[in-house]
Amino acid sequence: MKFVSHLDMNRFMLRIIRKSSIPVWYTEGFNPHPYITFALPLSLGFESEYEIMDFRVTDDSFSLDEIKERLSSVCPEYIEIFKVAEPEKKTGKIAFAKYKIEFDTENSLFINKIEAFAKKESIIISKKTKKGKLKEMDIAPKIKEISFEHNKMFITLPAGGEDNINPTLLLDAFYEQTDNDYVCADITRLSILDGEMNEFK
Amino acid sequence: MDNKRLEQLFLSVQKPGRYSGGEINSVVKDKSKVDVRFAFCFPDTYEIGMSHLGMKILYSQFNAREDIWCERVFAPWIDFEKVMRENNIPLFALESRDPISEFDFIGFTLQYEMSYSNVLNMLDLAGLPLKSKDRKDLSPLVVAGGPCVCNPEPLADFVDIFFFGEGEEVDLELIDLYKEYKKKGASKKEFLIAAARIEGVYVPSLYHTDYNDDGTIKSFYPVENAPKTVKKRIISDLDSVHYPDRFVVPYIEIVHDRAVQEIFRGCIRGCRFCQAGYIYRPVREKSPEVINSQAKAICENTGYDEISISSLSTSDYTKLEPMLCDMLCWTEDKQISLALPSLRIDNFSEELLEKINHVRKSGLTFAPEAGTQRLRDVINKNVTEEEILRTCRTAFEGGYTAVKLYFMLGLPTETDEDLKGIADLGQKIVDEYYSMPNKPKGKAVSVSISVSTFVPKPFTPFEFEPQVCIEEIRRKQEYLKSCIKTRKINFSYHDSSTSFLEAVFAKGDRRLGAVLEEAFKLGCRFDGWDECFQLDKWLEAFKKCNIDPAFYANRERSYEEINPWEHMDCGVTKDFFVSENKKAKSAVTTPNCREKCAGCGATCYKKGVCFEKR
Repeated sequence: MKFVSHLDMNRFMLRIIRKSSIPVWYTEGFNPHPYITFALPLSLGFESEYEIMDFRVTDDSFSLDEIKERLSSVCPEYIEIFKVAEPEKKTGKIAFAKYKIEFDTENSLFINKIEAFAKKESIIISKKTKKGKLKEMDIAPKIKEISFEHNKMFITLPAGGEDNINPTLLLDAFYEQTDNDYVCADITRLSILDGEMNEFK
Repeated sequence: MDNKRLEQLFLSVQKPGRYSGGEINSVVKDKSKVDVRFAFCFPDTYEIGMSHLGMKILYSQFNAREDIWCERVFAPWIDFEKVMRENNIPLFALESRDPISEFDFIGFTLQYEMSYSNVLNMLDLAGLPLKSKDRKDLSPLVVAGGPCVCNPEPLADFVDIFFFGEGEEVDLELIDLYKEYKKKGASKKEFLIAAARIEGVYVPSLYHTDYNDDGTIKSFYPVENAPKTVKKRIISDLDSVHYPDRFVVPYIEIVHDRAVQEIFRGCIRGCRFCQAGYIYRPVREKSPEVINSQAKAICENTGYDEISISSLSTSDYTKLEPMLCDMLCWTEDKQISLALPSLRIDNFSEELLEKINHVRKSGLTFAPEAGTQRLRDVINKNVTEEEILRTCRTAFEGGYTAVKLYFMLGLPTETDEDLKGIADLGQKIVDEYYSMPNKPKGKAVSVSISVSTFVPKPFTPFEFEPQVCIEEIRRKQEYLKSCIKTRKINFSYHDSSTSFLEAVFAKGDRRLGAVLEEAFKLGCRFDGWDECFQLDKWLEAFKKCNIDPAFYANRERSYEEINPWEHMDCGVTKDFFVSENKKAKSAVTTPNCREKCAGCGATCYKKGVCFEKR
């Protein structure tokens, strides 16, 4: 699923909802379609173990378990419905996301290097602003948590509407600012968190 | 190449979803448990190929058999081709990611001539020799089907076997024969000779051509007891033939991202420029009950919210009203919109418009094809100006404010007066709108006029006609543009050089194989795409091979000349095309198949409209 962009994923889930025959709320515009939103769009190329999708069921007689079952029955095996629940918080409360970055190497030297880089006091990157200008920024203070385990890096970064740091910014900076050869990495989003570092629900 | 590395490379190009596979309803089998692996190749991008109904039908039909695994292959876009060549990635099938050179069959569908360079490029990317004679082993066999097979000669050097006509039966007959020959360890030659005896199968290496001094064909003859003519195959009963109950549903957006339901094959009309109108004869319909249940299944199994009816001329379906009633019953309920493309102007009734009004309202598109009645009679497009205007008025009254009209430029006998007629017709439609007393306030009408360049095609009454040369086409385009005086009319046209190349290959013979190979080496591919088409490269290739493209495209052919496609028999006879050509020249129309049989020859199939009660 990592080659499916956010917009394509949206369209995909619309079809899943149609296949499930769960009565959902449709938009009332020129071109009615079920109204769904993802709490936090996922970048192309990432996998995820924690995605949240909002939609409104128009028939109260459906239990949450029933909805989960219906959706699961029409989802392909690589999409798992973990839970169907009433929303607890507004999406604006999203503050952080935790990622796992698994490097395709057994070389502990490489991991040590990237660890040293990520734990520097200051990591200056240049990021495109919405206006298209390049802006320099220090991401070191933005790293909320970071840990390493064999060839894996676990990192928690700001996410959501207020401030959003994509973990690839750190990787790009590492390759640009050191002379290390590129190593393939699988990036998986592990969870979406609120300001108190609780799982966003 | 391991999957991880490959997936990293996907992320370095545009739209990785074109190459990653894994879509819903795609079929994955255990390769050790199948006898035949078939790589179904569409020689264009994923978005175009995935929109094609024929591929969906055959993919589903092949995979319904336990012993066959059919996978999809598309032409990689320029960016990914570069990545593939740099990293030595051979062309692979989407489902298994195995190189297609390991397959038993590599099957191309030939939908348009401008995809031929992609066929060569894909063979090359697969790591295979381009020419049939240089591939010595029994497998992989390179086979091809689709409408362009009615003149397969330009690809004769490269393709081992062509399928002529509808594929559902003949493809499986060939696969079964292959299984038998593979088991007994037969050679490629032995298999090809045996295959040529199946009706509808054409093995180009078993035929030879002699040429006259002027370059025309002197004789064309088979060897090894291959049949003298190759007869087109058709499916006689559309109700019982395989139709998919599910489509592979792509993640990325494709051109026609919706369910498609076929309702009939063939066309009763006989527009004289239209190849499809002849090569799919005779007309055979599906029953409304079958259509309804097939359509329902596809919607349920895909989750699509739109279904489109597919045929060459939807409003000619004899049971259109009951069929629409049945379908609207459940589509409305499930908020599925029903699209009815290919409506004809002359039988576009108010009731029909009412029916379409139940679903989503989009623009209306009509194809008068020519600007004056005289020229419409020449091309046998039997619609009158009054009908066009009446239809537009009906549409305007039904709330439409945009109408799109298609025309062709460069038709046989066309004069400047006919071109002016296009502009005049557009103006009359604009006037029709403003003459309505109850026209919507504050809404302007928009008439789009889209003009394409006429390409004379084999198996049409215009197969003898020359194409107007590029310079004259450009002059005609400019003249027509100067005739349009209002900004309510939106005029668009296309550069004529692709149409020129299309004419060359549509009417070409096997000597063009050398040109094709040369053009491929010069870097030609995706010729149907404006951003990739390079006419200068093509002209260079013609020059190198000492072949004049005008010989094929711009030369008038006598009725007696042996055409390169004369050994292909589509049921409609050359005598009929000759008589239609003569009638065209004197602007005499021919009634459609349901009004009166014109004696085209398609009755030989003993099915369909030819045997309906009139």
